[in-house]
Amino acid sequence: MVSIIKLRLLRLREDYWIYLIMMLMAFGLTVIFGVSFHDYKPAVLIVDENRSSYSENLVTELSYNNTFEFSESSRSDAIVQVREGKVLAAIVIGDGFEIMKLKDDILLLTLKQLLTSTASKMTGGARIADITAEYIVSKQPAADREAVRDAAYRNVMEGWAHRNPISVTSAVADTGAESGYDSLKHSMIGFSLFFSMYTMVFGIGTILYDRQYKTWQRMMITPVSKASVLGGSMIVTYSAGAFQLGILVLAGKFLLGIDWGSSMTGILLVAAAFVFATTSMGLLLSGLVKTQAQLSSITPVLLTSTSMLGGCMWPLDIVNNKILLFLAELTPQKWAIQGMESIASKGMGFEAAVMPALVLVAMGLIFSAAGVRLVKQA
Amino acid sequence: MLKVENLEKNFGTIKAVDGISFEVRKGEVFGLLGPNGAGKSTTISVISTLLPPSGGVILFEGKDIFADPKAIQRKLGVVPQDIALYPTLSGYENLSFWGNLYGLSGGELKKRIDEVCEIIGLNGRIKDRVDKYSGGMKRRLNIGAALLHMPELLIMDEPTVGIDPQSRNHILDTVLALSRQGMTIIYTSHYMEEVEYLCSRICIMDQGRIIASGSKDELVEMISGKTMIGLQMESIDQELLNSLGSMEGIDRIEQQENQIQIRCENADLILADIIARVTASGNHLRSVAVKKPNLEAVFLHLTGKALRD
Repeated sequence: MVSIIKLRLLRLREDYWIYLIMMLMAFGLTVIFGVSFHDYKPAVLIVDENRSSYSENLVTELSYNNTFEFSESSRSDAIVQVREGKVLAAIVIGDGFEIMKLKDDILLLTLKQLLTSTASKMTGGARIADITAEYIVSKQPAADREAVRDAAYRNVMEGWAHRNPISVTSAVADTGAESGYDSLKHSMIGFSLFFSMYTMVFGIGTILYDRQYKTWQRMMITPVSKASVLGGSMIVTYSAGAFQLGILVLAGKFLLGIDWGSSMTGILLVAAAFVFATTSMGLLLSGLVKTQAQLSSITPVLLTSTSMLGGCMWPLDIVNNKILLFLAELTPQKWAIQGMESIASKGMGFEAAVMPALVLVAMGLIFSAAGVRLVKQA
Repeated sequence: MLKVENLEKNFGTIKAVDGISFEVRKGEVFGLLGPNGAGKSTTISVISTLLPPSGGVILFEGKDIFADPKAIQRKLGVVPQDIALYPTLSGYENLSFWGNLYGLSGGELKKRIDEVCEIIGLNGRIKDRVDKYSGGMKRRLNIGAALLHMPELLIMDEPTVGIDPQSRNHILDTVLALSRQGMTIIYTSHYMEEVEYLCSRICIMDQGRIIASGSKDELVEMISGKTMIGLQMESIDQELLNSLGSMEGIDRIEQQENQIQIRCENADLILADIIARVTASGNHLRSVAVKKPNLEAVFLHLTGKALRD
């Protein structure tokens, strides 16, 4: 097996640039997508048909938030822009709220929550202002009730701006990491997994090169066993894939300042299991096809589609279709992203890596068992 | 040393090797001669343990080679018909890798690589990448990779296919030199001259069967007294063939494009008559060649077709 490992390492000499390109692609696209979407604020139009002080206050309150980019518009213009997909949605303020949308989106939930909480805040403020005005007028009948009420309302709302009126002493252990979706982290994880898969699949596909150049047949009539040939090839491909993924994790940390969370061990465990699953998938593919040309044809199709399904390109949170979500469960990418994001983005610890890593190892074992069988038959 | 008994190899419904038997003696160069598709390479693949047989037994020093293939593989050196090397590695790296697979390492491996380079004549270029080699150099390195572990039996499957005459001569000389050192060699080829030149005993294969075997002299004896007359024509018509066919003393007539091969008892007696008939037919005769019996003639005699068909 050592001689096979030496051979594969020697042959990496001519393929190192592929690894380099794939790492640069992953890193470059992370920078482009991650940084771009990091500052991204979906546009939302506000159509104020109520034209009351309440609705004006609501528009003012909404404009303070950092999640959406609000701007005012007429109803007709809002309809056009929503229909053309230029804005996420339009809020029509009449007697109540109406949200104009083109399609369902996870961000609409956030928008509804924002509207509800802002309205609640304003209702609370109005109630406090009413009580305050009533009290002052009862003590000083000469006071202007409306002026007092307006002043009280402004004070209440300003109070919200500087300090929440309710403070909660957290009972949840503080991990020190932020929780929730982070586009930069997601891009880094997704693209790293996606591009490293190529080098891993093509790395183990070198056994097809051996078949093409008849060196496979020649190896089969030497005293070295088929298991040693496959084992040596797997070890080198695995090591190269792990090295590549490790470099990308470190590049994310030191070049993009990504905080990988409280458990780097967990991140590396998931990465290691993912590399095993992918290398095994490559072995299975190499057993299914006859030539490197065939492998080169099917690999991009397979890896791109499973990466899309598995959430490498976008978060699975925005996917509602049950069939797609079921198919995602079958991809190694989904489990790797789940494990890594749980730690890096949601502030969870090592325990979040265990289940994804186990699933990935199980996938790897199934792929490799089937792959070895097919390669031996070939 | 090697005994093949009723060997069969089927690929689906195709019988590639159909119950052949032969024996290779220690120290000899044994030839497997036959046209492309005769079953030579399949036979070699089974003997070298790459393919399992569909039937029959192969004994190496009395032991079934498929009982413990790995033990036998240490004693075999196989030169495949295709150049089975890594083109982007150097010649030295290739030899080093194949030597490793046979358990050679360190100083022993280096010594053997030097010795093998001497045998195959690649000393000056061994550090170059293989894809920079000429076809002949690749063929020689392909042979060298099978010699590193000093095999007891060297199996060479058409080792001179597609190379220039100079490299071919070098390879033939190498085979003879190895034979003189006592190595047992199985040599397959569809080049009759190579087998005649190298082999002490020969099996002629066609369509998966052995159609004749023995020493070169024994095989030629099968058509002793027969002479081949080759006529090169500008054109040939059926009338001429009928005319020649009706002559006394002619065993067989074969036509290949503008050539006529005539096998006869004694060319001296009928050559003048043949030329007269050709002239009378109006077909223009370009050249006449009278050949003594050789393996080509034996093959023609046995199968009715030329070896390179």
